[in-house]
Amino acid sequence: MPLVRIPTPLRPHAGGNDSANAAGATVGEVLNSLTSDHPDLRSRLFDGEDLRRFVNVYVNNEDIRFLDDLDTPVAPTDEVSIIPAVAGGSV
Amino acid sequence: MKSASFQPLRVDLSELGGMCEWARTGNALHRESVHQFLGPLVIESLERYSRQMRFGPLGEEGQRRISASRVTICGCGALGTVLANHLARAGVGFIRVVDRDFIEIHNLQRQILFDEDDVASNLPKAEAAARKMRLINSQITVEAVVTDIDHTNILSLVSDVDLILDGTDNFETRYLINDAAVKLGKPWIFGGVIGSEGQTMTIIPGKTPCLRCVVETSPPPGMTPTCETAGVLGPAVSTIASFEAIEALKILSGKTDSLNRDLIMVDLWNWSFRQLKVAALLGKVDCPTCRHGKFEWLDGTMGSQTTTLCGRNAVQISTRRDDILDFQEMASRLSEIGNVRHNAFMLRFETEGHEFTVFPDGRAIIKGTNDIAKAKSLYAQFLGS
Repeated sequence: MPLVRIPTPLRPHAGGNDSANAAGATVGEVLNSLTSDHPDLRSRLFDGEDLRRFVNVYVNNEDIRFLDDLDTPVAPTDEVSIIPAVAGGSV
Repeated sequence: MKSASFQPLRVDLSELGGMCEWARTGNALHRESVHQFLGPLVIESLERYSRQMRFGPLGEEGQRRISASRVTICGCGALGTVLANHLARAGVGFIRVVDRDFIEIHNLQRQILFDEDDVASNLPKAEAAARKMRLINSQITVEAVVTDIDHTNILSLVSDVDLILDGTDNFETRYLINDAAVKLGKPWIFGGVIGSEGQTMTIIPGKTPCLRCVVETSPPPGMTPTCETAGVLGPAVSTIASFEAIEALKILSGKTDSLNRDLIMVDLWNWSFRQLKVAALLGKVDCPTCRHGKFEWLDGTMGSQTTTLCGRNAVQISTRRDDILDFQEMASRLSEIGNVRHNAFMLRFETEGHEFTVFPDGRAIIKGTNDIAKAKSLYAQFLGS
């Protein structure tokens, strides 16, 4: 099963885990099964059926926008990462 | 003192005109005393950079380019002080440091150019940083600019430099920098840190994706942690700023073959280092900025005049004025309803659980609230609008 890496800000909505295995053959399927396990994540990642514009998703370090977006195929050994923008810089 | 391959830079600094405004930068006395002690050859030569020049890819030619180069550091907090420190020591010929803020005691944990005396002196960060940088390297020119970077002033702050460095703490300013950099065709380096995690990316307009290609939009307020809720660790900021600084040295020395083409993500607490491949996004993403030339932050259609400040339960309100505020007059009125003190750079006023820091151009930072509407009311109520 593909491994999904969960960023620090979203861990409280994923049972505190920094990663989770989620079934699926595409990025969309993997994220759907992840968010059915952790429903709180759903609204933070998706706006309806689409990913929120400030959420970037990578498969093995490649941005899915360069691949096939949510239809990007995912192998069982692949790693899917949810990458939030880091705003801080600390004044 | 000299190695065989080493040629001292025989330049009379007084002949460099605008580049070395010793009188304006207040460096004359310091430079004179250092000269007496070390002799002019050492000061005005490249000897101090010998260890850096011995690094093969840089060499003396690279150093000469670095010494002739100009940068603007946007923001002089944790990222900015580390950037300023590295680039001053590396001999970047002209460094403009822009910051809107004053030093507070909780900055000292990570903002490496500042000390307790600076807090006690109520110095602006840009000014305190510039003073330290001139002590570190009297051979370079440092310009301190105490202002809030916005769409009305950014072009004047970055048009005359070779590289723009991100030491800011918010996406609004970063998108503004991105607009200006893409419009002017200048490289800039993005960096951001929260907790023990950070990101950085080198942006060369036309050759790499821009910030908006990669981060299409920033999360809405309250959606992600800030320095206030998640804290921030000094070594994490230093790491990201050091990544920015090494990229700066490559760009300024003309050695661009080794530039970072990825979005770098590190988590120092959990020892992860990732290089996300974003280079292929160039041309693939329908980017409003670098594909369509829409500069929405630069033309003022995006961005606001108010900003909640990362990590501080405070709101900044910018009301640009043509005149300079009269702090004496303001202090005499406000002293009847709260504690007031002021110097040439700022007026501080405390009342009813709120602290106002007012700047000569009318800008104010209001502490004690994250609510922009409330902050606007407080501004109007106590300072007038």
